[in-house]
Amino acid sequence: MRAYIFAGALLALASGGIADARPVSYEGGRTLIVEHDRDMSAIWAHYTPHHRYSIGYRGEWHREDDHVFHGVQATWLANRWFGEDYQANLYLFGAAGIASGVDDNPAGTGAAGSLGLMADWETRRWFVSYMARGFAGETVGEKAMQSARLGVAPYVANYGALHTWLMVQVEHNPQAETPVGVTPLVRFFQGPLMAEFGWSVTDDKPFLQFQYRF
Amino acid sequence: MSIRQITLAFALAVTPALSAAPHALAQETALSESQITPAMRSALDEGGSLVIVDVLGAVCDFCALAMTRTFERRAEVAAATVDLDAKTLTFVVHEDQTLDDATITDLIRRAGYQANGITRPEAL
Repeated sequence: MRAYIFAGALLALASGGIADARPVSYEGGRTLIVEHDRDMSAIWAHYTPHHRYSIGYRGEWHREDDHVFHGVQATWLANRWFGEDYQANLYLFGAAGIASGVDDNPAGTGAAGSLGLMADWETRRWFVSYMARGFAGETVGEKAMQSARLGVAPYVANYGALHTWLMVQVEHNPQAETPVGVTPLVRFFQGPLMAEFGWSVTDDKPFLQFQYRF
Repeated sequence: MSIRQITLAFALAVTPALSAAPHALAQETALSESQITPAMRSALDEGGSLVIVDVLGAVCDFCALAMTRTFERRAEVAAATVDLDAKTLTFVVHEDQTLDDATITDLIRRAGYQANGITRPEAL
């Protein structure tokens, strides 16, 4: 069964629900992330023991599928490219834990996990990212998602000032009733706090995300 | 008191100020406001030494936060800040303490970034 879960996760492409602003922090850094998109609500708290990876707890409530996931997620910074005016990153991540049905879903508790990758390129003016993620659970089935983002900062701010980004996210969830979704959002960034507020124009649902670096 | 004694007393009184002024002036004219925080200015007044690091990849507040926190938790460092416009990390090392270039480069790496040059204005 473990092989089934692993293979399912590997075969699935995906995204959504993974915060895409530095999922690996500085050594010793701790981060709390709360997010809510058109499909899922999640909480993620991670610690960065080494500048190339982070590890932490991740909880997900897949509202459309009526199941929850609780597990440990590790994120590896596979590579970071530096320039005077840009930064680009490639992350690989995986989570392992348990999932079970909630509300009208009679699925029992079983092993579950996910695998994914994320890539981004960012200057102080422009932001582009892509994410893919596969999820598989012994009792709750498989799921695949992918998403991409494009963002622009209407003004460039220095450290400590309020940074504002206008972004649009396109999500692809093959199993969803409407597979492709579009979510315009605004990102505010200041010091240790990042907040995003958006609205899925496809499903007419809110998008929220908060991150705090301790 | 003779004219000679008055002149000598005046010279002794103003000499320390005159000797310190060019150094402080040189540092302040070379740095923008966002490269020196009040805490760093206080540390410099207490005899600390200034270090400026050119950094690659610092494009957001999380980048800046990572570097300032990484350096400020070191006992040798009095205060630090990042200027995203200048692409620099600036910090003050306590008087009688040092932080060598290899350590600074390693700390920048541990914060997730890359040093692209280190200068110590006092030595210029």
